[in-house]
This record gives sequence, structure tokens and C-alpha cells, in this order.
Amino acid sequence: MILISFDIDGTLEVGDPPGVLTMDMVRMVVGDGFLIGSCSDRPMSAQRAIWEAHDIPYDFVIPKHMLADVKAKFEADRYFHVGDREDLDKKYALEAGFEFLWPDEAAAMPWFATKDSSDA
Amino acid sequence: MATQLAPESMYRNDEGMGIWEHRGKVAAVGVGHSPTARRWDGKAETSVGAWSILALRRAIEDAGVSPDQVDGLVIVPVTTTGAFWPEDTPVPMDIVNSFNRTGDPLDGIAQLSSEWLLNNMPELTNVNFTMYGAGCMSNALNVASQAIGDGLTHTCLVLKAWHNLEGRYYQSGANAHDAIPGTAALKSLWGAPACYGTALQFAEYCRKYGKTHDMMAPFMTNSRRNGLMFPEGYWAQHRPEELTAEDYEYARWIAKPANLFDNDIPIMMAGAYLFTTAERAQDMKQKPVYILNHASSNAMPRSLTPTLDEVEAETAKTGRKIYEGAGITAADLSFENMYDGFTEFHQFHIEGLGYRGIKFGEALDFYQTDISIEGPNPVSPSGGNIGSGRSRVWLHTDSIQQLQGRAGARQVTGVKPEIAVSGGPMPLGGNYTVWSATPD
Repeated sequence: MILISFDIDGTLEVGDPPGVLTMDMVRMVVGDGFLIGSCSDRPMSAQRAIWEAHDIPYDFVIPKHMLADVKAKFEADRYFHVGDREDLDKKYALEAGFEFLWPDEAAAMPWFATKDSSDA
Repeated sequence: MATQLAPESMYRNDEGMGIWEHRGKVAAVGVGHSPTARRWDGKAETSVGAWSILALRRAIEDAGVSPDQVDGLVIVPVTTTGAFWPEDTPVPMDIVNSFNRTGDPLDGIAQLSSEWLLNNMPELTNVNFTMYGAGCMSNALNVASQAIGDGLTHTCLVLKAWHNLEGRYYQSGANAHDAIPGTAALKSLWGAPACYGTALQFAEYCRKYGKTHDMMAPFMTNSRRNGLMFPEGYWAQHRPEELTAEDYEYARWIAKPANLFDNDIPIMMAGAYLFTTAERAQDMKQKPVYILNHASSNAMPRSLTPTLDEVEAETAKTGRKIYEGAGITAADLSFENMYDGFTEFHQFHIEGLGYRGIKFGEALDFYQTDISIEGPNPVSPSGGNIGSGRSRVWLHTDSIQQLQGRAGARQVTGVKPEIAVSGGPMPLGGNYTVWSATPD
């Protein structure tokens, strides 16, 4: 089981500024059974609203400094946080025991590789 | 002759000055706002200069006057508190040269001058009075009010604009250097975040009066609610997100006990008003809103950060000055729009006013009651900077619009809007305006 925590601004396409990770990419990992959610300075109510507006089921929303609570709550083999800030993403991720990925690194992960249509 | 900063003699800094000599003889009529943005996108049409021109033209149109009737311009030349043009970044000369520039290429990009505005607003053919207010719209309003009262101008535009650039706020300009001369180094270079001083005062406030940070939550949710009904504001335009008590209480600390949402979000915007004499206002398009008084605080703290005792002494003094010059009492206020960007000094301001009879240490309890626009005790119906982004303008626009009866969904309904007060920013060092629906 893999858990991915997404920062929003500068990381997801719906962020301000927009990031490189599209909501379709998120849907892809949700479809593959990953645990996903957001960890952002945006209000938790606003984080929920984003997922619901895009009809993406989510497992958690959390403020940046409370990422460790996610690890405590969810059982997974690997925990990733994707974000664009050294001080607010990488720092909190490593402190919480997550592996950290910059958005472009995350976009290159095999999870997001487009599935060959011949597999269908 | 270059435009000058307003002299100290234009401000009403002292107690015992009596009723303002121009009480009810100056009026606000027109309001103009630009759009808002989180940061500048580098285009000429969204530069702080372009948006300033837009806001000024909208204020003129809103007042229903022709540009050649305008004879005064009072602006704040500084357009940021923390997003200074990086020294190693070339100024985009294609943008600079797309306007009628001045000798300073940053004019219209990261600052303003009256010369630049007049160069780019050829329709303002009769402006013969220009003056600068320092820092805030609150200051510029005091200057414009006094200038009109004194007969220096009869139809005066007042402007405050903000730019915001990529990067972190307060990290550029002098703060990016290895050294800053003077005591500023202790705060700006080696010190804590900007909200630290206010957080320190708030911590002492909570200790002294037995209050908690969570008691701010109703004020925060109310302010954001009001801001989302402010169509000119950032949150309403770009991110119509409510702020719940849970959102507020779980936010990370910036300088404990001030958290992320106790700090306002830096944005780009421009706001402008058209001020005139009470007589001329009668023939204009909008209902006049009369100025009963302006008052200022020029107090200096004894040290780097004012103590709670100093804050309370000064806000009480400011309250007395506000009421004395306007010839009113706290009981006459329909609502208040005191500054909130940092949130944790709003209660200092309204306790100093004695708004609705509250005393020092009582504001957070007051926040637990009905402070909505529908109730009898509206608190910050503008939503302030918390509701609409860092501008220090919403509080004034809202006061004018409420008294004109055109605040839309934000219109107060629990009280009849007759007299209001707005101003800030800091408890020590601020400027305030008393607004009225009638001249007396």
C-alpha cells in the first residue's frame, strides 16, 4: 500500500500557482488503490472542497504541520509527500517520516505512467 | 515642484483640539477598485500602475464628475510593505516604456508617484494640488479630508495601491542584505516574523485577562464571511473559501500565539475614492458620506515592540480623539471597521473605542456574541484584510458603501447605518476617519 500526500499550491494543477500534477493523475493512483489526500496551508475545509469539486475520493486533509498524524492514522508500506517548498513541504515531510518528492519528481514516478490501452 | 509628504500639521494627533473645524464639510462620494490578484503576472495591463489608473477612473465615474473637475490628488507612493523589487532582477523596460514614464523606472511597477499618474491620465487637466500620505489609505484619507477642508482642493482623488511579486513576503529589499543600519536590523534582519510584536502583545493580553487564542475564531469566521460578500475582494474573486473555526484552530503557528490565518494574505489591488466639499457633493451621482473627524496616533513605543500597557493607553487615547473631534460618543457608532491585518490587534482597537461599551479585556467575550452584519453589534462588516486580502482599504470602502446603502449582500441590517469609524493600521501609529450619513 502506498500513501501519497499532495501539497496544493505549486504542486497540483488547481493550485495557485498551478503545479504540474493534474487531477487526472491523482485519479489514476486513486484507481490503483493508493491512499491519497492533501497536506496544505489551505484551510482543511477548502482542501475538502477541492477534492469534492473534482469528484475525487480522498482519505485525509491535514495542515502542513500535522502530517505526522496521517502516518499515525493510516497503515501503508510507503508514505510520500509531494510539495514545492523546501521549508514547508520537505522539512515537514521528513520530520513526519515521509519520503519527499518535488512535483516534477512525482510526475516521473511509475504510478503516473499512462497505461497502455492494449491492456484494457 | 515634486509632490511632498503631508506635513505633521495636517494630522490631528492631539487630545484637546476640540471639534474638527471642518466637521461635516467634507464628503466621500465616489469609490473605484481595480481587480485583485495574488501576484503580478508581468503584464502592463495588470501592473500596479495600470490598476491604479483603473481604480481612479472608476472613482471618477462612480462620482459622476468629469475628469476636468478634479483638482487634487492624494496618494500613497509606497505600494508594498514586503515585496520589494529584487536588486538583481532587471526592471522590465518594455513594460516601463509602455507608459509615459518618469525618471524612476519602478514608478508604476513597484511604486507610484503623482507625476507618473498624471503623465498617464491626460484627462486630469486641472489637478493643481498633489500630496502624499504615508503608508496607508487611512493616512491619505486624513490628508485629503484636511486638504479639502482647508480649501487646498475641492475635488480630490485619493488612492492606495498594492503590488505583490513572486517570492516570499518580507524576504527582499533591505531584508535580503547582510546588514541594515539602525535598530531596523533587530526586527527586520535578525528578528522574528512581522506578526511577532502583535503576538507578544496578544499573549500578554490572554494572560492578563484569562483569554485564549481559540476565542478569536468567531471573529475570524465572521470576517471571512463578510469578505466573501465583498465582490471587490481577493477571496471573493479568486478563492471563495470559508474559514471555519476548525480551520483556524488547527492552523500552524507563525509566531505563537499568532497563526497562519492571523496574518493577511499579500495581494495586488488598487482602491480609490473621490472626496469633495459637502456643497459640491450634493450635485454628484452618489449619496455623500460626510467626514465628521479625522484623528491620528503618532505615539512611539519605548522599545522595539510596544507593551500591552502602551497599546491600551494609546488606543484609549485614540478613541478619545476620535470622539472629541467628531462630537460624538461610542454610543453613536452604528458599526466599526477598525484594522485587522494582524487580526490580533483588532480587539485592541475596538476596546480603545469602547465599542458597544466593551472595556479592556472584554473583546474576545464580545466576539462570542452576535457580531454579524445582521445583528445589533456588527464587528468589521468589511471583513477587513482577513476577509479580502492585504490592502488596508476594505475598511474604508465598506464604511462608505454601508452609509450610502450600497454594500450589497454585506449591507448591515441589524443597525441603521448612520455613523461609522474606520482606520489603522497599528495601535501605536494610525489614522482614523469618522464617517456619517448626514453632515451633522
